[in-house]
Amino acid sequence: MKTILAVDDSATMREMVAFVLESAGYRVIEAEDGAQGLDRATTTSCDLVITDQNMPNMDGLTLVRSLRELRDYKSVPILLLTTESSDAMKAQGRAAGATGWLVKPFDPATLLEVVQKVLR
Amino acid sequence: MEEKASRATGATDAAHAASLLVTVAATLNERLALTAEELARSQVLLREASAELMTAFRGAADRIVEAQKDEAAQPASRAPDYDVVLDHLYRAVQHLQSHDLVNQLIDAQKMRVDKMREKLGEAISLAGPPVADPGRPEQWIERSRAMLDCIVAGIKQIDEEARQPVAGKKHAGSVDLF
Repeated sequence: MKTILAVDDSATMREMVAFVLESAGYRVIEAEDGAQGLDRATTTSCDLVITDQNMPNMDGLTLVRSLRELRDYKSVPILLLTTESSDAMKAQGRAAGATGWLVKPFDPATLLEVVQKVLR
Repeated sequence: MEEKASRATGATDAAHAASLLVTVAATLNERLALTAEELARSQVLLREASAELMTAFRGAADRIVEAQKDEAAQPASRAPDYDVVLDHLYRAVQHLQSHDLVNQLIDAQKMRVDKMREKLGEAISLAGPPVADPGRPEQWIERSRAMLDCIVAGIKQIDEEARQPVAGKKHAGSVDLF
């Protein structure tokens, strides 16, 4: 069973992401900001990370950069799931090492398609 | 003599303008206080509704996840209405996210209103201390300018710092894979 780390400061959003992924058979662990996400990622081996951008303590882009510095997360897919939709922000995400950028509110079927694709 | 009278008139006009500015700032601040109250009330109502919806959602979602686990263990065990219920829940997921995003939007608007109120309060407080020489128009003009600077700084600040958390409709749900 693949393990996915969902990072978002909104409990509702984490719950939505977790439900959609668990209903498709994935195991989900949650974190409420980038710092906690980084901590979870180092203590649990994750196959995919889905993170929000705007969060307290550590934002999504910083989390992506921090994870890419870790040997175990050099090639693990990381998706940004955020309300930010500007091309400039997406370019920053790409430069930071993110695998993809999804804009909220997400469509569950689309999220699952993307997850399957990047986990292949 | 004429110049003295003219300066006195200028000072009276400048003092009147400064006083008008205080009245406008105070009135605007009162209106913003009402707006802040209404936003807070809307947010409470939305939070209560969201909490109820989430409770109902969880009841069904937990069953679906359990059913998914059972199915993984025994592939033939899927209930006939599983897909229909899942489809309904997926639709609910989209709308529950909107609730959450609207809540964030209200937070951002509240922050804008609070920041503007803070700056208006600062501007009004500048009018508190008496001017050293009320007969000099320059002092009143300086005071008005300081108040206006404060208000303009407030407007700039809310534009720079307040975030717009909800993506435009054309971007919502979009996907870019790098």
